[in-house]
Amino acid sequence: MAINLLIVDDSAVMRAMILKIIRMSDLSIGETHEAANGREGLDALDQHWIDLVILDINMPVMGGEEMIDHMLGNPETKDIPVVVVSTEGSETRIERITKKGAEFIHKPFTPEIISDAVRNIIEKGADHAGST
Amino acid sequence: MPDRLNQILSRVAEETLGELAFIFSFFDEETEPVPLDDAVAASISFTGPFSGFLVIVVPNRVLPGLTENMLGLDDEEKATLDQQYDALKETINVICGNALPVISGKQALFDMGTPKMITASAAIQEAVRKEDRPEPVSSVSLILENGQCDLFLFVDGEIPTGADGVGPD
Repeated sequence: MAINLLIVDDSAVMRAMILKIIRMSDLSIGETHEAANGREGLDALDQHWIDLVILDINMPVMGGEEMIDHMLGNPETKDIPVVVVSTEGSETRIERITKKGAEFIHKPFTPEIISDAVRNIIEKGADHAGST
Repeated sequence: MPDRLNQILSRVAEETLGELAFIFSFFDEETEPVPLDDAVAASISFTGPFSGFLVIVVPNRVLPGLTENMLGLDDEEKATLDQQYDALKETINVICGNALPVISGKQALFDMGTPKMITASAAIQEAVRKEDRPEPVSSVSLILENGQCDLFLFVDGEIPTGADGVGPD
């Protein structure tokens, strides 16, 4: 089953890079949506069915951590998997992010790291669906 | 400490350019700075255990290749100017985000600002060689296939010693 993807990053080039990597992989991707900050990301979640969010942390208007907090506070979005893709190097902050349930990928990344993370989440979702 | 900072900054920049844009680069102490009359720059500020900003300066001719590599564009596709500026801002963002924990240790918390483009040569001059401001604590030049890039790290005050990467000397 194809999954719908939301990529939230204030860099259009970074969004395009991530999208290209995912499209070039063998992953089954349905709709893709983009947002330039957390606020726009939450709006996109309101408007579209999203199965996976790929999210930067350091963004203007609303950063990634705040967006995750909003998602966790909303019953409709709290279970959507989040992969954080960031330059963040502080172990303290990375631990805080992963405790919120997000996976963390460090920039710069290789294409395999991104596609493997998405694949793992798709497979986890399939396992979960199969066990319920 | 400047030598150690130069090593950190050049190594992080080499890795970033290699992984982000597939550009091979190497540190060269002998290189003259990029002429500012045909250059663009991007800067990013940060606050944390120490505060300051990092500036990258590249000749204009470097930007299209950097961007097209990052985007994986085909030979016949050209990057727009907006994409080129965005690519340089993302590059300085990644270099800064990776350099600070090496300098200050992985437990240190930094908040980075939004990267900004500097396109006018006078403004670049102001950013990197302002007379009434202390010299950068680190400045490095990397040689690229089709040019070079210069990096300047400015800090307010001094970098606290005892950080994992740098001190105490």
